[in-house]
Amino acid sequence: MPEIFINGKPYQAEPDQTVLQVALANGIYVPYFCWHPQLSVAGNCRICMVEEEGRGVDIGCNMPVKAGMRILTESDEVRAHRKAILQFITLNHPVDCGICDKAGECTLQDYHYQYNGTPSISHDRKVTSTKFYDLSDRIVLDNERCIVCSRCVRFTREVSKSNGLGIEERADGSLVRPSTDGSFRDDPYSDNVVDLCPVGALLSRSFFYKARVWYLQATPSVCPGCERGCNVDIWHRKPEWFVQSLDAAENTAIARVTPRENAAVNGPWICNKGRDLARIFERKRAGQAMLKGRPVDLPNAVAEARRLLAGAARPAAVVSAWGSNEELEAFRAALGGRVTVVTRQDHVPEPGEVVEDDLLIRADKNPNSAKLRELFGNAAATLPADADLVLVWGEGFEFARIPPGAKVVLLGSYLAPENGHADVFLPISIQTERDGHYTNFQGVVSGFAACFPKAPGVADAETLFAGLAGGGP
Amino acid sequence: MKHLIPEFEALKRRLPPELDSTLVLPCLRRIQEDRGYVAEEDIDGLVEYLGVPRIQIEEVLSFYTMLRRRPIGHWHLQVCRNVSCSMRGAERLIDHLGRKLGVAPGQTTADGRFTLSTVECLGSCGTAPVVMVNERYHELQDERSLDALLEELKQP
Amino acid sequence: MTGRKVLMNFEVTPTSHTLEAYLARGGYQTIAKVLRELKPGDVTKEIVASGIQGRGGAAFPAGRKWQVVDPNDGQPHYLIANADEGEPGTFKDRWILENSPHTLLESMLIAAYALAVRNAFVYIRGEFDQPYRRLAAAVEEAYAAGYFGQGILGSGFSCDMFIFRGAGAYVCGEASSLLSSVEGTRGYPRNRPPRLTVKGLFQRPTVVNNVETLSNLSWIMQHGAEEYRKVGTAKSPGTRLISISGHIERPGVYEVEMGYSWAKFIYGVCGGVPNGRKLKAVIPGGISSQVLTGPDAKIMTPEEVESLTLDHDALWQMGSSMGSGGMIVIAEGTCMVRLLQVMLRFYHHESCGQCTPCREGMGWAHRVIDRIVAGQGRPEDIATLRYISKFNDGTTICGLGDAAGYATVAFLDHFRDEFEYYIEHKRSKYDGRLECLPEAAHA
Repeated sequence: MPEIFINGKPYQAEPDQTVLQVALANGIYVPYFCWHPQLSVAGNCRICMVEEEGRGVDIGCNMPVKAGMRILTESDEVRAHRKAILQFITLNHPVDCGICDKAGECTLQDYHYQYNGTPSISHDRKVTSTKFYDLSDRIVLDNERCIVCSRCVRFTREVSKSNGLGIEERADGSLVRPSTDGSFRDDPYSDNVVDLCPVGALLSRSFFYKARVWYLQATPSVCPGCERGCNVDIWHRKPEWFVQSLDAAENTAIARVTPRENAAVNGPWICNKGRDLARIFERKRAGQAMLKGRPVDLPNAVAEARRLLAGAARPAAVVSAWGSNEELEAFRAALGGRVTVVTRQDHVPEPGEVVEDDLLIRADKNPNSAKLRELFGNAAATLPADADLVLVWGEGFEFARIPPGAKVVLLGSYLAPENGHADVFLPISIQTERDGHYTNFQGVVSGFAACFPKAPGVADAETLFAGLAGGGP
Repeated sequence: MKHLIPEFEALKRRLPPELDSTLVLPCLRRIQEDRGYVAEEDIDGLVEYLGVPRIQIEEVLSFYTMLRRRPIGHWHLQVCRNVSCSMRGAERLIDHLGRKLGVAPGQTTADGRFTLSTVECLGSCGTAPVVMVNERYHELQDERSLDALLEELKQP
Repeated sequence: MTGRKVLMNFEVTPTSHTLEAYLARGGYQTIAKVLRELKPGDVTKEIVASGIQGRGGAAFPAGRKWQVVDPNDGQPHYLIANADEGEPGTFKDRWILENSPHTLLESMLIAAYALAVRNAFVYIRGEFDQPYRRLAAAVEEAYAAGYFGQGILGSGFSCDMFIFRGAGAYVCGEASSLLSSVEGTRGYPRNRPPRLTVKGLFQRPTVVNNVETLSNLSWIMQHGAEEYRKVGTAKSPGTRLISISGHIERPGVYEVEMGYSWAKFIYGVCGGVPNGRKLKAVIPGGISSQVLTGPDAKIMTPEEVESLTLDHDALWQMGSSMGSGGMIVIAEGTCMVRLLQVMLRFYHHESCGQCTPCREGMGWAHRVIDRIVAGQGRPEDIATLRYISKFNDGTTICGLGDAAGYATVAFLDHFRDEFEYYIEHKRSKYDGRLECLPEAAHA
């Protein structure tokens, strides 16, 4: 284990590490644009320069450790070089901060203030280039802001393997461009380049001009799009920045979804489906309890459901793989002994959706099949033909499969025609409105936290079950 | 480009077996020599033949100055304007050709016969000024020799 | 000075490049001897002993480069002759390719044997036409005669040769960029480590040598390292092919023994500056080497006894270098501001764009000099050019940025008054022409 010295202090290193890795691992921050722990070393931005005593400055991301080497990360030479590199990077960089979505989370902004902060010494016009370039229908590229760090290109070569992006032309006319065979458009991981981009060159169309990032907060969550359960951050407005005169729906909207790094599950990536969680969670919500379509208040509906359940001789339940660990445990505790459970994977791959790949995407498009199997076994049997009450918990279940004459108690979150046909309809919360956990296909448990309040009249399923069983409210 | 594949297969005989992507540049050069430029269907064919990503071919086509994705004039007049050639009058000759042909560097005559370009050092500094016409070097040029050359090239 | 010639030691005729002519002057006997009598390690030892320095521009001792490669490591190795010859002012490798391609090929066989190379390449710049055709014809002749292919000359040594034509990129003359090109991608240079001799072409140990460097090998193996060291100087053995152009009476390629008097070369061999003009400056080794004024190099007249000699140490001591051997002579009255403009335009055009200082810096420097030449210069422009040059020195992936910086600073150091004049008066101190014409050109 070679020992190296950084700013006079000794640090243990692995023999195959670089100076940059050792520095970062020990809390010594060295700036970098093009380096990324999950990508190959490009060594093109040149800002991670460090000084080796007696040998001058060189980039740290490609500097192998050698026992006894003495590194300085804040010497005058290093600082002068950082300033110069920033001078070069900002030479043609448009001062778009006022209209750039990346403002507030932009590495270039941060470094400019930390390491340079002086105006450009150039008196020449900046090189202009394409702005608002459709890299795909999901991503906008601004070539003027691009610092040609090649992170996006390396991502498509090494991680998603779509080979969707490349760099064309030369010199300061270099342009990130997509392959004309559509492989970037078809790359289900394309949006990760937005996170990777250290500046505002690659932006998500769905987030374009939506909100300033400092108005938003990130709440940890789990993508329910498949049984991988990638950890995500759901971004939404901070209470102190709630809009007053604009549409109040802004205050409870998902502004964007980004990966939340979890080495055991998804690393720092998610697929595009995870970015589009608003498509799932912001469908029209069911907010009104009903008895055969007739609106009633929630306690009444719960009481009726309890009455029907108590009176059923052969009750059955369809339990969804979208239930959280807490909900499923609560269900089993309250009703598991009382009803015949049939499990269901609510969501199946949609036409055109990637079914499974060797990166993140799994064929089971439900977040909690593992917990379902653990609690209720593997059998996704059919409903007993003589069931006289079916509690349906989840969405998309075909009512035609309900034995004729059986009563239906439906727990659902979204507006659907079936809601009005059920004997009792109880609107329940979705994952963004409560805390909970899912178990992924490898047994890893990940947690999500509430982002938004429930609407009045909507219940948490896990507190409902005890009430339905007859004990509790 | 399919008709060129037998030639490409012959090239492989002098390369170690794993080095298929080495053929990208040689194949593109040959395709351009054959067609005059590299067309979209040539790229498709090459992607299939070599098994390299399409973006790699597109990057290469944009990086190297001698490769093009669009046809140009029948005669490509490439005048070096680097140091030694400029010191021997290249700038004068560029102006001269521009006036004679009625085009600026980078443009093609209306009849599609001549494209005028300025290029960087061709490695012919001792016989400057040099004009490269398609593949051939024409060295020690002056206004008179260029006028004679144009006359010759104007012949069908 | 021994006056010996290593490369230009035969009469050039319309057929002197053919296999027949090459054989007649003793060609391919050296590789035969090497294959019969020597082990690969013996060859490397001899090359190291010869002290031959690279003749592409960096002057790195070739033997030292070779020694990194272990012929017995069981991996494929590659040898590539760098015939990209893109450094402006340089056209001497072309001489070898056109007039004695077999010298290169035989030397490459010797090198391939020493380095356990099964597949050798010549990377030739895409624009070269006759040099390519002659080289290609020579390769076919060599194959037909059994000098390439399986079991060469009845030995266990096999070697294939592939001529790889470039497609227009100066940066591909840089060894790692050359490899990127051969691998079928954009000519992006690579960071070191790893050295190319450890991980080069397709991550295999690879030796890239300049055409002229390699072409010396057959003479060295024929006559021995000791003989070679008698030629030239102690620190710079051998000869150098110098391409001379610009304002010179007899431009062309000459073989000059290292240590030869520069003044004698310019005036005695090459005829001096035409049209009765005085010498102003010389760029010794391609535009990426630092310009020297005539007085500083002591080459103002043919009789200058103190004239700088043509060897590496003499030029390094003057803050310049022999570089690629592409010498450009500049006559009095030439506008150095305009000349730098041509050079910066070139570097901007050729920057690959991979790393920040060069990508942004070359364009920046080009725009500044264009503005100066257009009469819109500002006093701080000289400091800006120095800033760009300083922060391209040692900060880039390859030497293009550094070279542009060195060249720029040398111009600013030696001809500061011209730049200041242009900025202040919005026009050249001279008439702005770059040609050396009969009439006096002082403004």
